[in-house]
Amino acid sequence: MRYKMTLYKHEMKVNAKSLIIWTLSVGFICFGCILLYGGLEESVQDIAASFSDMGAMSAALGMDKMSLATLRGYFATEIAMMHGLGGAMFAAILGSGLLSKEESGHTVDFLNVFPIKRYSIVFWKYLSLVSNILLLNLVCSVLYILGFVIMGEEVIVEELLLYGFATSLMQIEIGSVCFLFSAIVKKVTISVGLGITILLFAADIMCRIVPALKKLKYITPFYYSNAADLFTDGKLNGVMAAIGMGVIFVSYIAALSVYKRKDL
Amino acid sequence: MESKSPAISIKNLTKNYGKCRGVRNLSLQVESGDIFGFLGPNGAGKSTTIRSILGLLKFSEGSIEVLGMTMPDSQEEVLCKIGYMPSEAMFYPAMKVKDIIRFAASMRGIDCREEAERLCERLALDGNKKIGELSLGNRKKVSIVCAMQHRPELLILDEPTSGLDPLIQAEFFKLIVEYNRNGTTCFLSSHVLPEIKKYCKHAAVIKDGEVIYSDTVENMTRSNTKRIRMIRDGKEEEFVYQGDLNELFAGFAGHNIEDIIIEEPSLDEIFMHYYD
Repeated sequence: MRYKMTLYKHEMKVNAKSLIIWTLSVGFICFGCILLYGGLEESVQDIAASFSDMGAMSAALGMDKMSLATLRGYFATEIAMMHGLGGAMFAAILGSGLLSKEESGHTVDFLNVFPIKRYSIVFWKYLSLVSNILLLNLVCSVLYILGFVIMGEEVIVEELLLYGFATSLMQIEIGSVCFLFSAIVKKVTISVGLGITILLFAADIMCRIVPALKKLKYITPFYYSNAADLFTDGKLNGVMAAIGMGVIFVSYIAALSVYKRKDL
Repeated sequence: MESKSPAISIKNLTKNYGKCRGVRNLSLQVESGDIFGFLGPNGAGKSTTIRSILGLLKFSEGSIEVLGMTMPDSQEEVLCKIGYMPSEAMFYPAMKVKDIIRFAASMRGIDCREEAERLCERLALDGNKKIGELSLGNRKKVSIVCAMQHRPELLILDEPTSGLDPLIQAEFFKLIVEYNRNGTTCFLSSHVLPEIKKYCKHAAVIKDGEVIYSDTVENMTRSNTKRIRMIRDGKEEEFVYQGDLNELFAGFAGHNIEDIIIEEPSLDEIFMHYYD
């Protein structure tokens, strides 16, 4: 068990640069936007009312529930969207290559001849995916709290924790689906992963605008991790979260099953 | 006296890739303590056989036993005792040589620093270089260290010398002989015939996914295969003949044989003969 953690440590080390770049990019863009709010506050007060009255578009961005006139509302409708999308893209890129990179890079002949079962390889690699996602969200959350402190606003710890949990779940769900793809294919398919992410993000916007597409909310994890909904309701939608956890579980088990039987 | 089980025992192995042939009904036995040469051109099925032995490929029919254990059921136990050198020798390009070697030892849960150092010194391998900066030959050296540093019971080497310069090739075979003397069985796939002839005790020839010949290297070169050079009806002829010489001579009836030389063929010629 102890020496098999070597693979986990190895994956964390290999992906450290990518984690740092994505964490700093997503974290500091959002942190910068929080700090910018001070300069925008007055003009935002003026446009907040009109932004909340744009019908379906306001609903799509959560502005019918939260006002841009407060930093809390600004965070839930603007910052959280950037964070969610950035984090999901990172999860998709990482998940898409974790298993297939060994085959496309021909390192499968090196890694898979160590005395370690295939399900262990899948497990430790998957654990590194989850760890990377959690680390990104943890560091970003600290930066956002710091942003609220610098802006002299009350730190909404509970709401940020709830959002942090929901967005991490969403990113793990997307990462898990991409991880399954990486178990099936023999080449790294980052474009497929990013495509899935953008499609799910668009599905969230569409299901909020077009009533006929409302059922898409059961498919896209961006729906249950919407900060405006979370801040307003004060809780995570249990059904949606359960569906998300189900997708994560099925993706992991399917990846395990595919990889175990695969010709390498 | 307790007889030692064969290092590798393959019975009726069949592996297909969809409709394409991999290996068909292949049987092979490698005795413990042997240096066994596995001969065949590209695409004959050498790598498919090796990958099946290692459990990287799931075979459809047949059975494989390695060091007395059934594959793939005992894969983890078997891989503990195996050192494998793949033909491509690819590693993580951003890592340093010493980190790859340490990673390989760590994945086995063994401290191999002393042996790794000795091997690096013998092969003139710089541990501080990044994998991405290495030539194929130097990557092969890393592969040799990773395969040997834990002193395996069985070494499986897939075209080990391609890319190595002659000096390192010689050093590599010295290491193989040393390890073999210390009890390591070596299974070596190659299409470089002189090295098989020089270092292997037994060899098998694979063609179109089937083993067509398996014997001692000595018997292989001393078989009923002969190289014939002659002048028949005023024309010079040279060919490799396998079979009863009486039948060959009977075929000369009615021809004017001015000169004939019958000699042992080289391993290259035998190999080519099988593939003609």
